Amino acid sequence: MDAQDTPTGQQSIRSSPLSRSAALATTGAVVGINYLKHYGRRAMGGTGSTSILHEENAKAVYRTFSELKGGPLKLAQMLSIDKNLLPEAYAREFSQAQYSAPPLSYPLVARTFRREFGKDPLDLFDTFSQEAKQGASIGQVHQATRGDQQFAVKVQYPGVADSLKNDLRLVKPLALRILGLKESDVAPYFTEVESRLIEETDYKRELASSVQLSNASRHLKNVRFPNYHPEFSSAKILTMEWIDGVPLDRFADGDADQASRDQIGQALWDFYHHQIHTLKVFHADPHPGNFLVSDGNLCVLDFGCTKALEEKFYHLQFQFLDPVLIDDDARLITALESLNVIRADDDADFRDQIVALCRDSLRLVARPFRSETFDFGDAEFMQAIYDLGMESQKNEIIRNPRGSRGSPHTIYVNRTYFGLYSLLARLRANVRTHLIPPGV
Amino acid sequence: MELSERIIEHYSNHLREHGHPPRSVFRFCKELEITESEFFRTFGSLEAVESELWRAMIERVIGSVSAGPEWESFGARQRTLAFLFAFLEASLDVRSLLLARRELFRPLCRTHAITGFAHAHKRFTADVIAKGQETNEVAERGAIAAVYPEVFLTHLLAVIEFHLADTSAGFERTDAFVEKSVNLAFDLIRVQAVDSAFDLVRFLLPRR
Repeated sequence: MDAQDTPTGQQSIRSSPLSRSAALATTGAVVGINYLKHYGRRAMGGTGSTSILHEENAKAVYRTFSELKGGPLKLAQMLSIDKNLLPEAYAREFSQAQYSAPPLSYPLVARTFRREFGKDPLDLFDTFSQEAKQGASIGQVHQATRGDQQFAVKVQYPGVADSLKNDLRLVKPLALRILGLKESDVAPYFTEVESRLIEETDYKRELASSVQLSNASRHLKNVRFPNYHPEFSSAKILTMEWIDGVPLDRFADGDADQASRDQIGQALWDFYHHQIHTLKVFHADPHPGNFLVSDGNLCVLDFGCTKALEEKFYHLQFQFLDPVLIDDDARLITALESLNVIRADDDADFRDQIVALCRDSLRLVARPFRSETFDFGDAEFMQAIYDLGMESQKNEIIRNPRGSRGSPHTIYVNRTYFGLYSLLARLRANVRTHLIPPGV
Repeated sequence: MELSERIIEHYSNHLREHGHPPRSVFRFCKELEITESEFFRTFGSLEAVESELWRAMIERVIGSVSAGPEWESFGARQRTLAFLFAFLEASLDVRSLLLARRELFRPLCRTHAITGFAHAHKRFTADVIAKGQETNEVAERGAIAAVYPEVFLTHLLAVIEFHLADTSAGFERTDAFVEKSVNLAFDLIRVQAVDSAFDLVRFLLPRR
């Protein structure tokens, strides 16, 4: 349930596969022109550095992806997070990553109800808003009442699963070419992204994981969850308790005092830590639209995208939080090998470069874990994280690693931590962060 | 059951089973065990039976949708959408008939056999347009407004065509097509762009 200010006044969206193909073809053309410029520079005697070319192409692709919304944007995000391709614009776009389509008409909402329940909305509820109250990532939210209960009813756009699959198919070859990757290298990532996106279109699954995760996290301080109503839910319709509150981004950008910012930030941090390090199943979409602030509580609304961590992967991934490991060459190399970031057949020089790169980024990313409290209001820290992304974007070793590296599960962990850090930075919250993850 | 209903029912069963209309009134009457004069007292031809079949179907949809509790609160756009979705729901019962008689509904070469269907739909559209002018969803365009029913009928036929070709689960793609095309249609008949375009075309038309 991503809050949007106006469900009606939205930007243009490429809606038909045909026009989406057209948008992608435009990118193709721009990329082509950039190559021409590149060879032009060379012909004129300039150096025509390939890194400039990559940068221009990445920008062109990114622009198109953000126009497309939906599947391609999410895909671009995930690939770019994982490849550490984080242009600064990316951070801004991150918060707009949602499938924004014109709102569904009421007759179509009613038709979806008839198809799912065999009944009209007014047969199930006493009142039902004809207009959508909010847009959601792949649907929209209506407000309904029954007796003295208020409900938020999320209705999915028809054919959205179809359109996601189509988007991914259209975008895959292009993304591969432009990000300079080989099909075989990224196949596991694509499979991972696709299966997660398709899962998001099944509201039955979302209901089950929402109920499960919210019950397992209910004891956390200042964290609240809506009650879910399976009796009014199906694969395309999800009904939960209506909560009045302020969307997290509006709260963060508003004039809240430092104490309440810290309180919400702490709740957010605790919520993610409880999930990742205790439950080992987490809400993998830390988008500001998925949270509301209500009476000093953080309300978590959307469990569409959850990711379970296998015990083995969890230990491999979070061994890097061990402060001793980073400075210990032998252990760091073993750890990177265990995650397939470096491989036994890499030559020494290449290995040294990768290890150095990883050490720098780990130092930075793990910084909040190193102290008792951490001030995410520190603009330098977030800037350093973005800069790290920019730098590695230009780095040939990271752009063109030999063969497949890392683990596909890392995408969601990285995406989640990046999202969490961005939200906390936006909140300018000071958070008690110190923890030793269990079992490390 | 009245004779006319029996004739229509038998006619549609024949279509479903054979995929084509009965060859002659004589054979049709034999199958139904009625005399030809009984038939001709009710319908002038087999084509007239077919026409009545489709007219009755669309009238049922219009009747049921406009009797809904929310109908009065709907504007023109919502009425159009509600009608089309109800039509799609009703057409599930006659999908095999529609598939058998697909060529009758080709948007651009409409046949005589759906005249009654077309008339019923145009009357319905005229009401919707009148409602739309009341709610300012439809611009007053004098004589041009007279072609709206024709345009909407062509749109309905395009929806049927799309629906028959649709293989998506639950025909969700048809829903999306209806939603998006109706939105576009109402955007067009509301805004000035069409008037300006029409003005330009009229200006460019060859003079005598």
